[in-house]
Amino acid sequence: MKSGKKIEFAPYCYLVPSMLIFAVFLFYPFFKTIYLSLFMTNKMGQAKLFVGLQNYIDLLNSKSFQNSLKVTVVFVLIVVVGGMLLGLVAAVLCNKAFPGIRVFSTAYALPMAIASSSAAMIFQIMLHPTVGIVNKLLGLDINWLNDPRTALYCVAILTAWLNSGINFLYFSAGLGNIDETIYERASVDGASGVQQFFHLTLPGLSPIMFYTVVVNIIQAFQSFGQIKILTEGGPNESTNVIVYSIYRDAFFNYRFGSASAQSVILFIIIMLVTLVMFRMERKGVNY
Amino acid sequence: MAEMALRNVCKQFDSAHYGVKNFNLDIHDKEFVIFVGPSGCGKSTTLRLIAGLEEITDGELWIDGKLCNYLEPRERDMSMVFQNYALYPNMTVYENIAYSLKIRKVPKKEIDKRVKEVAKILEIEPLLKRKPVALSGGQKQRVAIGAAIIRKPKAFLMDEPLSNLDAKLRAQMRVELKKIHNQLDTTIIYVTHDQTEAMTLGTKIVVMKDGEIQQVDTPQNIYSNPINKFVAGFVGSPSMNFIACDVEEEAGKVVLIFAINNAIKKIYPNNHDAQLIREKYMGKRVILGIRPEDVYEYEEAKKRKIDLNSVGIEEEIVTREMLGAEVMLYFEEQNRTHAVKLGPENKTRIGEKIQLFFDTDQIHIFDIETGRNILYRERN
Ligand SMILES: Nc1ncnc2c1ncn2[C@@H]1O[C@H](COP(=O)(O)OP(=O)(O)O)[C@@H](O)[C@H]1O
Ligand SMILES: [Mg+2]
Repeated sequence: MKSGKKIEFAPYCYLVPSMLIFAVFLFYPFFKTIYLSLFMTNKMGQAKLFVGLQNYIDLLNSKSFQNSLKVTVVFVLIVVVGGMLLGLVAAVLCNKAFPGIRVFSTAYALPMAIASSSAAMIFQIMLHPTVGIVNKLLGLDINWLNDPRTALYCVAILTAWLNSGINFLYFSAGLGNIDETIYERASVDGASGVQQFFHLTLPGLSPIMFYTVVVNIIQAFQSFGQIKILTEGGPNESTNVIVYSIYRDAFFNYRFGSASAQSVILFIIIMLVTLVMFRMERKGVNY
Repeated sequence: MAEMALRNVCKQFDSAHYGVKNFNLDIHDKEFVIFVGPSGCGKSTTLRLIAGLEEITDGELWIDGKLCNYLEPRERDMSMVFQNYALYPNMTVYENIAYSLKIRKVPKKEIDKRVKEVAKILEIEPLLKRKPVALSGGQKQRVAIGAAIIRKPKAFLMDEPLSNLDAKLRAQMRVELKKIHNQLDTTIIYVTHDQTEAMTLGTKIVVMKDGEIQQVDTPQNIYSNPINKFVAGFVGSPSMNFIACDVEEEAGKVVLIFAINNAIKKIYPNNHDAQLIREKYMGKRVILGIRPEDVYEYEEAKKRKIDLNSVGIEEEIVTREMLGAEVMLYFEEQNRTHAVKLGPENKTRIGEKIQLFFDTDQIHIFDIETGRNILYRERN
């Protein structure tokens, strides 16, 4: 033990590099965003006029932002539920050894490796009203991406599929941790496949489920590339999720103050959802 | 309640590799059948074939007069205790035990009553609220048995349920299982590699080797009338002594001679056995088998009126084990160690010699090539 007053210096030195990186790329932008959200800015994004919480008040009263919130909730719900279901079903199907399993596993994990923008390009062609394969196969004549009733679902389903790849990996790992013989015992005990799934597989995935849900929610809130390419927030703002709205306000309308305020609101929403999830985890995980 | 019949059942894992081969067995209601054999001989595979967890590649499985080869496990109405217990980790002990009834939509009250009953039999009442992770091996094993016996299936299948327990708990659970069998009054098919377990529990023992049945019989008959050298050596502890010897004739009597270090040792089989040996093996080499407890010292042999004519069996003791109720002495012959079980009053020390007498009514003679027991008595 050294004398009580002397502060150990060396341990903090080791933290400096990572702290520097955090400071430059995380803390500075974060606090700068909060700062900017309290100002009116010029076209260069410099704070000019202090307006207090006016940006926030304007936002909450704006029809457009309310729409964004609603669109975001629907989008996130579809993406999280859809992406996780796809991944889970694929993982369960690939959990048994069968000929060609590698081909299927690769196919299910593939979306992970596809850039969202290139996937969006492919979807754009597939959903094309006249030459797209979707309309051809279904024998329909729908302008999927330009119809406010369908655009959001198209973008959300694409995103769900993109996210399903990593979910497939998470769930495959989770299933690998479940002891095979409990299924054998269950089948001798008389449980059907469906009962085994709900009584053994789902509870067996609960340790990994929490993590997967949190990651999926955060990822869904932050989806951007595919929306930018497919719909640019339209038609009629039907796909104008918060992230896209921020982008538009900042880089088209040059309203950096408002964009910053939206960022802060998005941050608060994600933080709250995550906190709630952590709360639930403490009660929910089975073993 | 089940009559089971396996007819030429085979399990082929790949073109060259059989897990089980030509398995023929009748299992009657309320029997306690034991599959026993060394590790890898196909016991678990056979059990899993019966449960429906493995597909039968050839042959037929009949349960109560119905061909069951293609029935799903859940349609066969069996319950199984797995070697690693296979408890559901996300359920409490109570839920684990109740699961098969819950699946069958048995009323909650009825389930509760039965779980409590089973918990009482197995003395796991204080554990009912725990999850499997919080149990010791012995407790898990009792829970697994509880989960199996809560139902009244056609048969209980148990795969080495006691193998992970310490010796004392194992002995205790053996007694419990025997009791449970009497109480439940049902068929149990039980897999073990431990011959003591097999002998003490079974009403019918199936000895297996390399995927094939060697012998099916009662424990007593397996022990006293083994069909071949493998069964003879596998059952009994310490195992049977095997000594190679030549069959010759001496003044009209058959004699088994083994010569070591210029010392000629002779044994005269009794008349009935001599007849069998004479028929095919005169002048040939055979393997003599005798259990440690069928060898006596002079006083005891005389008391038991054992034939005292054998010659020159005087052996130097290399190891001595005092077991309390008996003394085990070991001697070397033909580069193998042989065991003798004598009364505790025997004081022979290591390095000393002792004259031994084989109870010739209890000897076995095995064909040196096929291992067949020449003296095997077909019953009926
Ligand atoms: N799924 C399998 N694929 C290939 N071989 C197997 C399989 N299961 C068991 N075997 C082989 O079958 C033989 C019998 O195994 P098993 O029935 O587990 O033996 P045990 O008598 O020890 O329970 C062993 O040689 C084992 O290697
Ligand atoms: Mg086994």
